[in-house]
Amino acid sequence: MAVRPQHMHDGGIVERRLRPIYDWLDIGNNKKALQEAEKVLKKSPSLQAARALKALALFRLGKGLEAQVVLDALADEKPSDDTTLQAMTISYRESQQLHKVCMLYENAVKSEPTNEELHSHLFMSYVRVGDYRSQQRAAMALYKFAPKNPYYFWAVMSIVLQAKTSEDNTKRGILLALAQRMVDNFISENKMEAEQEARLYIMILELQEKWEDILKFIESPLYSQLVPGSTAQASIPYLKKLGQWKRLNVVCKELLWDNQDRWDYYVPYFDSVFYLMKENEEDTDSSIDNTAEKCHEFICQLVESMSSGRTLRGPYLARLELWKRLAVDGDPTSLIGSGLALCVQYLRVFANKPCAVPDLRPYLGMIPQKEREENCREFLTCLGFDENSEPESGSLIETTFAQRVVTYTDLGKEYRTSTVAESESAQGRNSLSGKLLILGKPRFPPDVGLDTCKVSSFTLGGVHPHCSPRVEKLEFGIRAYVIPIHNVVVTFNIIHGRKLCQSADDIQRHISCLAAWRLVAAPLSSTGALELAATLRGHYMRCLQKGLVTSNITEFCAADHYGILAAHHYFYAGVEQQSSAPIVEALCLLELVLHHSPANFHAKLLLVKLYHLLGNALAADSIYQRLEVKHIQLVSLGWLHCARLAPACLASRALQLLADTRAFLKHHGKDSVEHLTYAYKYGTFEKLVELSAWAARLEACGWGAAAARDQALLAQLAGPPALLHQPSRLPALPTDNRDLNVIVNYEPPQFQDDNLKARTFDQEVSYLRLKDALVSAIALCIELADSRPVEEKKGHYEQLNTCVEAFSGAMEKCRQLYAEKERISISAPFPSRIIAFVNSPVPYRELYATILRLVGELAISRTTAAHDACETVARLLPKAQLQLQDEIAVKGDPVWRMRDRLESLSNYLEFIGIITFLLGVCNELFSPASAKKSKKKTNHSPDEIKTSELLNKLNNSAQTSIAFLENILDEWPKYEVSIDEILAKLSLDDKYQSPVENKLKTGRDDMLNDVRNILKRKSKYLKSLLQ
Amino acid sequence: MTTIRPFTCEDMLKFNNVNLDPLTETYGLSFYTQYLAHWPEYFQVVESPSGEIMGYIMGKAEGHGENWHGHVTALTVGPEYRRLGLAATLMNILEDVSEKKKAYFVDLFVRVSNKVAINMYKNLGYIVYRTVLEYYSGDPDEDAYDMRKACSRDVNKKSVIPLTHPVRPEDVD
Repeated sequence: MAVRPQHMHDGGIVERRLRPIYDWLDIGNNKKALQEAEKVLKKSPSLQAARALKALALFRLGKGLEAQVVLDALADEKPSDDTTLQAMTISYRESQQLHKVCMLYENAVKSEPTNEELHSHLFMSYVRVGDYRSQQRAAMALYKFAPKNPYYFWAVMSIVLQAKTSEDNTKRGILLALAQRMVDNFISENKMEAEQEARLYIMILELQEKWEDILKFIESPLYSQLVPGSTAQASIPYLKKLGQWKRLNVVCKELLWDNQDRWDYYVPYFDSVFYLMKENEEDTDSSIDNTAEKCHEFICQLVESMSSGRTLRGPYLARLELWKRLAVDGDPTSLIGSGLALCVQYLRVFANKPCAVPDLRPYLGMIPQKEREENCREFLTCLGFDENSEPESGSLIETTFAQRVVTYTDLGKEYRTSTVAESESAQGRNSLSGKLLILGKPRFPPDVGLDTCKVSSFTLGGVHPHCSPRVEKLEFGIRAYVIPIHNVVVTFNIIHGRKLCQSADDIQRHISCLAAWRLVAAPLSSTGALELAATLRGHYMRCLQKGLVTSNITEFCAADHYGILAAHHYFYAGVEQQSSAPIVEALCLLELVLHHSPANFHAKLLLVKLYHLLGNALAADSIYQRLEVKHIQLVSLGWLHCARLAPACLASRALQLLADTRAFLKHHGKDSVEHLTYAYKYGTFEKLVELSAWAARLEACGWGAAAARDQALLAQLAGPPALLHQPSRLPALPTDNRDLNVIVNYEPPQFQDDNLKARTFDQEVSYLRLKDALVSAIALCIELADSRPVEEKKGHYEQLNTCVEAFSGAMEKCRQLYAEKERISISAPFPSRIIAFVNSPVPYRELYATILRLVGELAISRTTAAHDACETVARLLPKAQLQLQDEIAVKGDPVWRMRDRLESLSNYLEFIGIITFLLGVCNELFSPASAKKSKKKTNHSPDEIKTSELLNKLNNSAQTSIAFLENILDEWPKYEVSIDEILAKLSLDDKYQSPVENKLKTGRDDMLNDVRNILKRKSKYLKSLLQ
Repeated sequence: MTTIRPFTCEDMLKFNNVNLDPLTETYGLSFYTQYLAHWPEYFQVVESPSGEIMGYIMGKAEGHGENWHGHVTALTVGPEYRRLGLAATLMNILEDVSEKKKAYFVDLFVRVSNKVAINMYKNLGYIVYRTVLEYYSGDPDEDAYDMRKACSRDVNKKSVIPLTHPVRPEDVD
């Protein structure tokens, strides 16, 4: 889009003339825009704005040189009208000549030194090139004749940025002091007027670590005037920095009274309590919580103060957090009960919310594994469900009704309500010891005996006259009736019958209990996992039949999770047995879930993952497209699908998605600097720093760099014939931008691999470096193939050798580093490609190194060395074939092994792509196309004849390799899975046709055809090279 | 249980569990960065204790004279975190910011089919100010409700007198 002139001083004539040019440019018809510009220029050949727009049209038509001539001529005239300057700015921006924009405006302000707009454009031009000093100068110049706050703070910010990027500490200190003084002066003159200005001031003080000054400023009337109502919250980080724990404690407590659900207040509150506990100071100030007891008491008070209606999770989670922190150096059980009980209690209260399990997750690990596993069923049964509880529509069916009177006697140990009903039903009479702790209001709590019964009412009676029930203390949110008992008669009605999931809420409760149970229980054997999966699938099917799947096109429902959880267990069983059958069951079920819940992205993610697990990237792609991954998601989710396409031998689709990813990153690279100018324009200085860091992060994106190299290499294999496009330099420190939390995992805490993200990224970076070395080496080979005399190629030849050595060395190192097989997890990326690549029995290191060297030797006419290299590769190839055959030999379940085998095949295919390309380069070196055209018969030397023979021999070996691969493809295993049987189990109606079988079959066939076509093209090309 | 904080660029790398929901649009990167650079106080995120993004709101202030108002560009809560009152919390923040900016009203557009959202906005005090015909492109195009709630500056509640006729998208400023 071109910026239209905002105001013209010519009565609109020029504007009217230029309008059509803008219109064409706006809709992207640059040819018409150019014609229109020429038309205007015929009438008024010197009109600068028209010439500038002409240049822009030329640029966009790809006529860079012509455009540059027009622009240079215009620049010499030092234009100062806005329309011309804006159009030129766009041209310069699109042609990455941002520094020229600075010059343009430097000249313009010279001719109109008091033009505010020009000065501000000059400032922005410095912003685009990151010239902070010039920014500062331009902003101050601007402020001098247009004394407005933003300009002043532009200057201040420019100084801050100079300080931030300065490596010299003294200089940094001076700059920051200067920036602070500038703002101090402003404050003393009462000129500060915006929130962002205040924030910038805090930023300056932060950089100098002047915490006390910050606190003073935050507590000043000026701050509360600029940022009303946020003083307390804003002071938290600085109270922490200053170690003012008592004040922090008071501040957080006050905030929490009004905001019981704010985690960002609980965390510093706990920090303060734990510091004060360590100080162990006797404090008479009762308002400060410096002991675990006081802290607990405070949380209980918060619970008490909660208004009726909505139960907030905050205080409940706070208690779990307190337990977790106390458990670090002690056992908090005596104070707040066992961690296990707390977790179960949380589940009991919030199980009807889908967030219950995500909330609990971080705390389950605090329960010792043994205790966790032994008591895992408490999570499952705490609301009266078990794994067999069936979802049911309609009202509860009452089977038996009975009124029981139970008398409890004796005092003694702690009594747990849940045991009452159990022992009661067994014995009819129960001897109870200890204090009777009844949770809940005087109705029987929902957790009593619901394994087998539902209690509809509860009354206490016959209590010893001296021991009437009374509220003794508050037990976490729920009033607890503590009754010292001699004889208690408890009357309650029992409705016998299985606890049923009646409503969506019940289903969600059941799901939460099931999920929490699986998260704490010991992993099941494969048989156990299959049994549970079948039960869960049964629940899902029942929900379908009973109309309990209530999803619509935009929202999914709780019942879906039966299917999701079942799929997870099929996955565990599949991995355990190294068998594809459970995975296919999971796929069928998940496709069914998705059919009824088209919005369920959890099902989509699992399907993508599981189709890839069976090596079927096309089937995965069918689901991936429904996720509508785009823009930044191409980066954060690239690992999920795009990165798996090439190793699944789906080169053409990989090339498309890699191109999308790169286009996104490239586009952002161009855009990002504009956002900095916005931040200045709107005075959002904090965001300015953030936006720069973000731009730098994406610029160094590891996946972006990998995508560029993958694309370059894959294009050799599957792309249309084109020169290798060498990617920009590898970032020194690639950034990890993957979102690895997107797939939910139900494995217990001991399987949580905290190191996973770092380790897998490390592997990806190693792989990236290997690929980078290959791409660089190939690029050098291309350079070496030109027609320069041999002497001039020495430099490139040396570089190639260095590059090849680096590649070889890295291969060897990686082979030692990455020898171990990685565990397959449902939520993590598949094991990095580097593992199969460097551990392959096929000697890729020698193959790549030798074929690359061959090009180098040929290029500088080291004939003997070239002959050696040629013979070595020709000798290695037939062996490599056999080694590949060995690598992909079917052991065990062929469908389970499909993914690994395809990955091995893809590595070989990529080599074929590169050797074919490099043989083309050799051909160009040995008998350039120009020489062929002349058809002159030249007499070849014996060396040359030998070279020709050897190259032909190698070419033939490569063709044999291709034929060999074609044979492998002909015998590629099919997905022989007994889908009918699975479908029968799903007891589906006739209307639903499971797509799984067809997707697996066509996915395989289309992939094989794609590879066959690629091989055919390679073979044809190789034949054309034979001399 | 919630941490409320300003949305940052890096949140874009982890908002998938919210954005993969079909009614939540993932915009081009510059759309987000533009909002961050221009209206950072209007772009807030609610985060769970474990650091997961539960939802976020994106908004802006615009208009002239009595049309100066806060606008909700996007409001979304992940499926796992619905029915916890998070959307209301986020709307409150946006309304507070609009009050501070002395806006006359807050407005938003919502698909007429999105009953859950419409009800929620009604419960928060919003009224259907007008219908915008075929505002959402798709197959078929869908109408939008332009819903509004007056801020304290609009003493006479002039901004929330519903229009009697629907308007076309090109008539919406």
